[in-house]
Amino acid sequence: MIKKLLFGIGMMFVCTHSLFALQENDISSSMRSHIDLATSILRNTQLAKQERSGKIFAIFDSVFDYTLMAKLSIGAKQWDTLVPEKQREFTKLFEMRLKNSYMEKLDLYTDEKIVIKNLEKIKDTRIHLTTHLMKNGEVYEIIYKFYKTANANEWMIYDVDILGVSIIQTYRTQFAEILAKEPFERLLERLKEPEPTNTKAPQ
Amino acid sequence: MRLLLLTCFFTLSLLWATNPTPQQANEDVETEFVDKTGEALFDPLEGYNRFMTDVNDHFYEYILRPTAQGYAYLVPESARKGLSNAFDNLFFPIRFVNNLLQFKWGNAFEETERFVLNSTMGILGFRDVAGEELHIYAHDEDFGQTLGAYGVGSGFHIVLPIFGPSNARDLVGLAGDYWLNPLTYIEARDANLVDNTAESVAITAFYMVNRTSLHVNEYDSLKKDAIELYPFLRDIYESRRNKLISE
Repeated sequence: MIKKLLFGIGMMFVCTHSLFALQENDISSSMRSHIDLATSILRNTQLAKQERSGKIFAIFDSVFDYTLMAKLSIGAKQWDTLVPEKQREFTKLFEMRLKNSYMEKLDLYTDEKIVIKNLEKIKDTRIHLTTHLMKNGEVYEIIYKFYKTANANEWMIYDVDILGVSIIQTYRTQFAEILAKEPFERLLERLKEPEPTNTKAPQ
Repeated sequence: MRLLLLTCFFTLSLLWATNPTPQQANEDVETEFVDKTGEALFDPLEGYNRFMTDVNDHFYEYILRPTAQGYAYLVPESARKGLSNAFDNLFFPIRFVNNLLQFKWGNAFEETERFVLNSTMGILGFRDVAGEELHIYAHDEDFGQTLGAYGVGSGFHIVLPIFGPSNARDLVGLAGDYWLNPLTYIEARDANLVDNTAESVAITAFYMVNRTSLHVNEYDSLKKDAIELYPFLRDIYESRRNKLISE
């Protein structure tokens, strides 16, 4: 009985895994359907905001490599000095930060249309997927940056460029500046704060 | 049994050998990002810039936003949108000249089409006829972008009072745009839309309030993404400008 159950769970894991993991050929089509699904969830105003974002994260969680994003944002050098437990704590806080920021944006969402413009293979292990978000006749360019994972032939997102601004780069600069003046523990605390605080300029 | 163990061991070691560790791939990704801190970052005005970022933030929080919100309460959105269109139409010379300076002939021509259509059929630019009906859209270019397109580097970052983030190159660009901007008053210039500097300041202030009223939530939501406001806004400004120049 237990064996059967374990097998079932194992199969479920395998299935869901392969259901969401992206292969090179279906990045465009999968992202297309992910975005369409997300859009329809967003338009469903009968759902509470919390519910909507929960459903959307369920779609995108398998495509975003939050651990790598966290590592890139703090820099490999700093990352390597942290014990695994701190790495996990930081990753969790960073992921929450990204998601909260996304949820804030949901409130601004009205009737934008998102189209996939272009898929470009930068090199063997990188793909940039360019999408256009249309709002009030203006076009906003959003680029999803994928890398090929080393052990499986899957593609995951490690950064998003919005209007030419790399999300990871903005965090990277901020974290570096904060860590130049404050201990790591303080950075963890600040990640939990909803509003930005400013450290004093060096005198 | 021993054979099985041996095979297991063998395949495992083979796996280790052939599989590049994820670590390697990650370090590879890392090179795509830059470290702009400490010595590497040229930010001689950092102290002043941080101070001015705070001042601007407070100015926005306590003066500009409340004013814009009060104004938005009194004036319907369609009217504010119309005014915003009319202002954009007035800035035609800036876009036209800078498109020409960057040899973007097609864009300069479209800008002219827009100006002619919107000034007439769009009634002084209040309605964006060209964009709405004919899908001819504006091509924003300014002197800072022109200089960038010519290969001028951004120089040091500087936060301007009220106007916000800028840099040495764009500061020079602003002087060029100032000359082409119909809302400014320059005695040496042949044509002036306004009669004196006081009028120019008043109409520019009105333009800012009107524009802010249409974008109130955007700055607020952007600000929430920041952990440390100054480097956050600096990064966004510089990346965005680089992107605009490359286009």
